[in-house]
Amino acid sequence: MAKINTIGDLEALRTDLQNYRNSFQTTLIVCGGTGCKASRSRDLINALKKELFKQGMEKSVLLRSTGCHGFCEQGPIVVIEPANTFYCHVSPDDAEEIIFKTVNNGEVIERLLYTDPVSGKTIQTESEIPFYLFQDRQLLAQNREVDPCSIEDYIAIGGYSAIAKTLAEMSPETVIKEIKDAGLRGRGGGGFPTGQKWTECRDAPGDEKYVVCNADEGDPGAYMDRSVLEGNPHLVLEGMMIGAWAIGAWQGKVYVRNEYPLAVEHIRFAVQQAKEIGLLGENILGSSFSFDVEIARGGGAFVCGESTALIASLEGKVGEPRPKDIHTVLDGLWHKPTTLNNVETWANVPSIILNGSKWFGSKGSKNSKGTKIIALTGRIKNTGLVEIAMGTTLNTVVFDIGGGPTGKPIRAVQTGGPSGGCLPLDKFYLPLDFDALADAGSMIGSGGIVVMDEETCMVDVAKYFLTFLQDESCGKCVPCRLGIDRMLEIITDISEGRGKPEQIDLLEDLAETVSQTSLCALGKTAANPVLSTLRYFREEYDAHIRQKKCPAGVCQELITYFIDPELCSGCGICKRECPHGAITGERKQAHEIDLELCQKCGICRSECAFEAIKVK
Amino acid sequence: MVQKVTINIDGMSIRAPKGTSVLDAALEYGICIPHLCHVPYLSDIGACRLCIVEHVVNGRAKITTSCTLLVEEGMVILSNTEKVRKLRRNIAELIVAEAPNSRAIQDIAIRCGVKEVRYPFRNNDCILCGRCVQVCTGRYGVKAIGFVGRGKDRRVETPFNLHSDLCRNCGACIDVCPMTVVPCDGPMKVGEERLCGKCEPKMAFAEETPGFCVWCDLGEGFQCERYTLGVRNQAYP
Ligand SMILES: Cc1cc2nc3c(=O)[nH]c(=O)nc-3n(C[C@H](O)[C@H](O)[C@H](O)COP(=O)(O)O)c2cc1C
Ligand code: SF4
Ligand code: SF4
Ligand code: FES
Repeated sequence: MAKINTIGDLEALRTDLQNYRNSFQTTLIVCGGTGCKASRSRDLINALKKELFKQGMEKSVLLRSTGCHGFCEQGPIVVIEPANTFYCHVSPDDAEEIIFKTVNNGEVIERLLYTDPVSGKTIQTESEIPFYLFQDRQLLAQNREVDPCSIEDYIAIGGYSAIAKTLAEMSPETVIKEIKDAGLRGRGGGGFPTGQKWTECRDAPGDEKYVVCNADEGDPGAYMDRSVLEGNPHLVLEGMMIGAWAIGAWQGKVYVRNEYPLAVEHIRFAVQQAKEIGLLGENILGSSFSFDVEIARGGGAFVCGESTALIASLEGKVGEPRPKDIHTVLDGLWHKPTTLNNVETWANVPSIILNGSKWFGSKGSKNSKGTKIIALTGRIKNTGLVEIAMGTTLNTVVFDIGGGPTGKPIRAVQTGGPSGGCLPLDKFYLPLDFDALADAGSMIGSGGIVVMDEETCMVDVAKYFLTFLQDESCGKCVPCRLGIDRMLEIITDISEGRGKPEQIDLLEDLAETVSQTSLCALGKTAANPVLSTLRYFREEYDAHIRQKKCPAGVCQELITYFIDPELCSGCGICKRECPHGAITGERKQAHEIDLELCQKCGICRSECAFEAIKVK
Repeated sequence: MVQKVTINIDGMSIRAPKGTSVLDAALEYGICIPHLCHVPYLSDIGACRLCIVEHVVNGRAKITTSCTLLVEEGMVILSNTEKVRKLRRNIAELIVAEAPNSRAIQDIAIRCGVKEVRYPFRNNDCILCGRCVQVCTGRYGVKAIGFVGRGKDRRVETPFNLHSDLCRNCGACIDVCPMTVVPCDGPMKVGEERLCGKCEPKMAFAEETPGFCVWCDLGEGFQCERYTLGVRNQAYP
């Protein structure tokens, strides 16, 4: 492709590309994100391609393989434009029918439509699906417009016009002012004001500066950064270019987790394409601005996402945090001033430049502006990646977007990943906003929300996250290494029936020490799962300690399995499946569990078709 | 001439050369801030967190380690508030519960006011303070030992767990290791670990006259920088 040397070149190319896209009558959009790929979307794409050729329609139908649409549990997803027909769970065998019926004749294939689990009705278009209805998809919606491996697609939808505008009409100071006025705060967990970070880095002495994109994303269950980087890598690149211009850097790094092969591949390819076309390199768009980006792959430790550990890892050292008495904006990569931002933070930058800080500031709540991508999982009907305006309430997220409980009533959400906290149902009126959640003892963090119902034990939840943090702590400093270890020891005692009332005070005392004195934010936030569950679910701790009972029926040592003779049909499945030979009974008669032999593995309970096996 | 700055520790004005840490400046003046991972003259890693102080900025106090905090003109430090003492005591309690089998560690526990240990004792041989790694890499520029593993698995090892050719058998690592200082009553057997507490009376004054070095015997035990540097024999600046 010809090099783009000026803004005029870029605009001319954009017009050409748009005309090309508009020349197709129909566009078939197939999700090729990691989630859908796991459900064979690659085969589906090939099948559709083959069908198009077979039916002679390759010239009139544009087939686009895109990044994640967010509704991965429904994958593979196919959207057919211009009618916007939405098909889910599509298999390669459906290809022929889709091309023949829907594309050719405009018929809708009822079988492939999405059925709303709440109303039980089928829905034809994406925008009518409740899961999408309450979202505000500023970043994620772009995913369906572009093939992540095509810079042409990105340019066609207006890509790189923000950097063009920046270079043509904005000084670094005006860029920073715009970001400041927008109220953008970091999406990587801390919520630090991005504009302020940029100002400090711009003002830092030195000619050699760096911008870094943090795509380490180590929280269990989080994949918002993956979806953005994998689905729209040029957006992140453009954000980094604008940031580099603003702080005066000419080198950038993207630190991607090695477990994200598709994201690594796509961002690599994007950088290569941008270089070939002249959007990265010397004198970009004919300006004085030169910028280059390198990709580094992270080793996969959670703590490597911490800013100083990430920088150490980029320098080839062990990924351990160091004391931050001097900030990375002054003393970062190779001891040079460095601006480190999260993938989603960078991705928000181009639209702020294009649409203005007012536009961005019009979304969200008082001190949390714009939208946030959330990884929504747990005991709800709809799970997936959700993008909402900041300030949307937890109620909306859980009940409207998530569609409410799958079985037992919902009792809590866990927000913010391993260092976040649990909030009970009566706090669901809270808006998703940095400060509101922090005041309630949790946080937005990187944006994970796990919904829990009455079968979730809060002591067990605290134990789960402590175990994760214990494994992921680098072990360098005492409060984090030994403090988490001892907290886990105490919680384990409690969950196994050895807990004593005074251990609650010890837990609180220790939690305070760990959060106040740990070296890095991993330790400083490690007590949150304990503190928030203690704050809202203390009676559950008491039940474990005093009555030696686990009300949710989760903590193995505190529960017993029994068979309800009323419900038991005597089918004998449980008897056959029990690996410990603990179940006895005659055919067609109520069976019984020998508590001496029962190892509480729960296999019988999941096998029983009559739900006759209970815990108490 | 080295530029000097004036900082305030616990209400006292202190002059210290630019570039020194708050911990070094304090120790120089005989203000006791307990410390463990700090090895004189080497860059600090801030691992043990015992040397925490409150750093007051714009009227707000922030807990931070004094060994990694460099002096700056007009800095205000509180080294011995109720809060600092409590947090420091809790950290020392974690440390002694992990490795009671060292006089140095027992001394630190007493110096930090630990009166009871609320966790089951463990009897580890290494407290992972990193002093050995610090001297080896920092002072001699050799990497004969280093940390491997993360979290629970963290340990000090030679490369590939073999005796390394890099090692010059200087023994500096052993000199600085707190775990080589045997408890006065001899090594504690597994199951018999306890908080020694015999020197507790010596510390009776520590809470009332906080912050001042009284040349406690304990300091020698835990290799307080003042002993290792022999500040005692030097004229005060
Ligand atoms: C243990 C730990 C893990 C972290 N992991 C990530 C991560 O995976 N991705 C990320 O963007 N930020 C992560 N952070 C936050 C970073 O330290 C840093 O604050 C952030 O990348 C700054 O970017 P932002 O201001 O755009 O949020 C982590 C922090 C800690 C303490
Ligand atoms: S707080 Fe935890 S992760 Fe951070 S430096 Fe200390 S031990 Fe390492
Ligand atoms: S061997 Fe000794 S000096 Fe080295 S880390 Fe362990 S306790 Fe510290
Ligand atoms: S001496 Fe400062 S953290 Fe150990």
